Amino acid sequence: MNNKTDLISDSSRSTRKIKHRILTFFSNGIWLVVVIALAFAVMLPFIWMIVTSLKGPTEVFAYPPTWIPKDPQWSNYIEMWKEAPFGRYFLNSAIVAIAVTIGQLTSCILAAFAFARMDFKGKNVMFMIFLSTTMISSQVTLIPTYLVMRTLDWIDTYQALIVPFLANAFGVFMLRQSFRTVPRELEEAAKLDGCSRFRFLVQILLPLCKPILASQALFAFMGNWNSYQWPLIITNQDSMRTLQIGLRYFVSGEGSTQWGVYMAAALVVCLPVVIIYFLVQKTFVESMASTGLKDI
Amino acid sequence: MKRNRWFFILVLAVLLLTSCGGTKDAGTGGGGKVDSKGNVTLEFWYALGGDSGKAIEDLVKQFNDTHPTIQVVATYQGNYTTAMAKVYSAITGNTLPNIAQLGGAPLLGTSGAIIPISDFVASDSSFNLDDFYPSFLEYNTAGGVLWTAPFNNSVPILVYNKDLFIAAGLDPDNPPQNTEELLVAAKALTKTDASGTPSQWGLNARDDTHWYLSTFFLENGAQIVSEDETQVLYNSPEAVEMLEMWSNWVNVDKVMPPNQHQEAQSDFLSGKLGMMFASTSLVSSIQTEASFKVGSTMFPAVGDVHKVPLGGGSLVIFKNDDERIRNASWEFVKFMISKDSSIYLTSHTGYIPIYKDATSWPEIQAIVEENPLRKAAFDSLPYAVAIPVFSALGNSDLALQNAVEQVELGTASPQQALDDAKTSVDHSIKTQFQVTP
Repeated sequence: MNNKTDLISDSSRSTRKIKHRILTFFSNGIWLVVVIALAFAVMLPFIWMIVTSLKGPTEVFAYPPTWIPKDPQWSNYIEMWKEAPFGRYFLNSAIVAIAVTIGQLTSCILAAFAFARMDFKGKNVMFMIFLSTTMISSQVTLIPTYLVMRTLDWIDTYQALIVPFLANAFGVFMLRQSFRTVPRELEEAAKLDGCSRFRFLVQILLPLCKPILASQALFAFMGNWNSYQWPLIITNQDSMRTLQIGLRYFVSGEGSTQWGVYMAAALVVCLPVVIIYFLVQKTFVESMASTGLKDI
Repeated sequence: MKRNRWFFILVLAVLLLTSCGGTKDAGTGGGGKVDSKGNVTLEFWYALGGDSGKAIEDLVKQFNDTHPTIQVVATYQGNYTTAMAKVYSAITGNTLPNIAQLGGAPLLGTSGAIIPISDFVASDSSFNLDDFYPSFLEYNTAGGVLWTAPFNNSVPILVYNKDLFIAAGLDPDNPPQNTEELLVAAKALTKTDASGTPSQWGLNARDDTHWYLSTFFLENGAQIVSEDETQVLYNSPEAVEMLEMWSNWVNVDKVMPPNQHQEAQSDFLSGKLGMMFASTSLVSSIQTEASFKVGSTMFPAVGDVHKVPLGGGSLVIFKNDDERIRNASWEFVKFMISKDSSIYLTSHTGYIPIYKDATSWPEIQAIVEENPLRKAAFDSLPYAVAIPVFSALGNSDLALQNAVEQVELGTASPQQALDDAKTSVDHSIKTQFQVTP
């Protein structure tokens, strides 16, 4: 009797299992097709940039468009270095982006910790003031910031490219939300064991919030690597300028643009960001899933 | 709720704090250095990238090589829009350079930050303004004062695909000269595929549509702006007639694609477009990008009237307390607009020479011989006119582009679109720019 029921349930279980497998195979398959299609759509501009960077001026506009350059112009990658002092621009962009990333993370972590974990008078009001600055567009603050830099005599310096970006209200907000999701009990337990506030932050809280820190770092780095208007306004000498300004040298408003060389330069310029993205991708993806934005 | 109210009050407070302050102080100190030996270093900002930017750098180098006591440091400042934004921040921060090459520069006259070129001309007997085309000087004049010096100028022209002309049974050496011939050619050049969708268009304009539309306005006898520059006048019957013609190309004759001006140049270079309204600044390089034979001719006349409004940039000299710097700046500007520099710029870019008798110079004739596409621009020179530089010119350009878009998409009649454009531009002249006496 027992054997029989077992047999029945066994066989029905196995058919169910097979059904389940077929179902997951198909749903996974469909999922895969969708994901590949989406990935291709996202990749397309990059692929087109690479293809264009190897084309001569006539082929850029050839119709129908060619996906494999007939006569690859590797010289475009040499030509681009002649157009502007890109070596210097790379150095400047790297200095500025790294300094801002480190500085912004440090200031954001400390401020976010205070807003998330400490009690002091006027905390909420201060946080609101802080947050409200994210609503002011950068165009509005452009001239006032410029005047401050001018008063400090910082025009054409690294300070002017770095200091205005050392604090970031959005970053503080993101980190504060993330810090608040960590249970208070952890802090209390640490306190009981004689752990100072700062040590708790560095040794316990930060490792727990690694994903959000990684994404914040990426935002900071990318934002600065790509910034154009501020470096253009605040610097005058070639030796202080950054990559995005260099890219603009290729674009001629009224005349013609050498698209092949321009795309070669664009590819070289965006490469570091892509590489950094791949390096932190794993932690970055985790943070997408775990950002505690719901708990304001 | 309480928190919400707080929040809004704070946002308002912060906005007020950031928008106030910033006293406007027209720059008089300015950049530039004079060392103990009397050698002058000047700062020069320019706003042209690509080949044109290279030509400017070359000219600056030539100047530095031939002027041992003056050193000019040239820096690229983005396109006309960003360069102008930078100049305005520099005016408030008192960090202006000494000279700049800018678009729409005469409007800086009202900023109080520049020295009019006419001041330098008045005290320099070796310099003669009569050598220049009067329209180029007009282009740099605002309120009766010659504020800036003509430098890189362009006019609208028609470029066309000679291969497509031959395929359509048209004579590639006899391009259309007026609007009637233009329509005939455009019809012949428009092709549809089996399903009835157009595969090749006869005519299109680059995305600076306001410029080409203004050209037709002027050729048909319409005016852009009133004498006293307090209102625009392009809702007159002469102007409406021209926008109607434009609208018909799209909606009745169907020889021009609706609202595809951004793609016009790439369509033309891919061989999918027969004729295109474009700037002369394009023609020096367009043949190298095209896989077919390109032709160029003067912008089509209305009837037999040719009138081409100038575009392009100018040179400005900013105020400076030091007379030696001011004189050196003028020296540099004189060099940049000299005959030799004009020839250099003309041969290395698509811009046109600014001198009256330039077309008779052997160097200029050699340019045409080398690149026949350049001829159309030089032929246009006698017909060049300047649209008066008035306060709301930027708004006006946008309003005209908007009107073109509306009629092409059929959301407004030509009369309605131009009435609306006039209303909005007149309003901004009154509210944004007019200083009440």
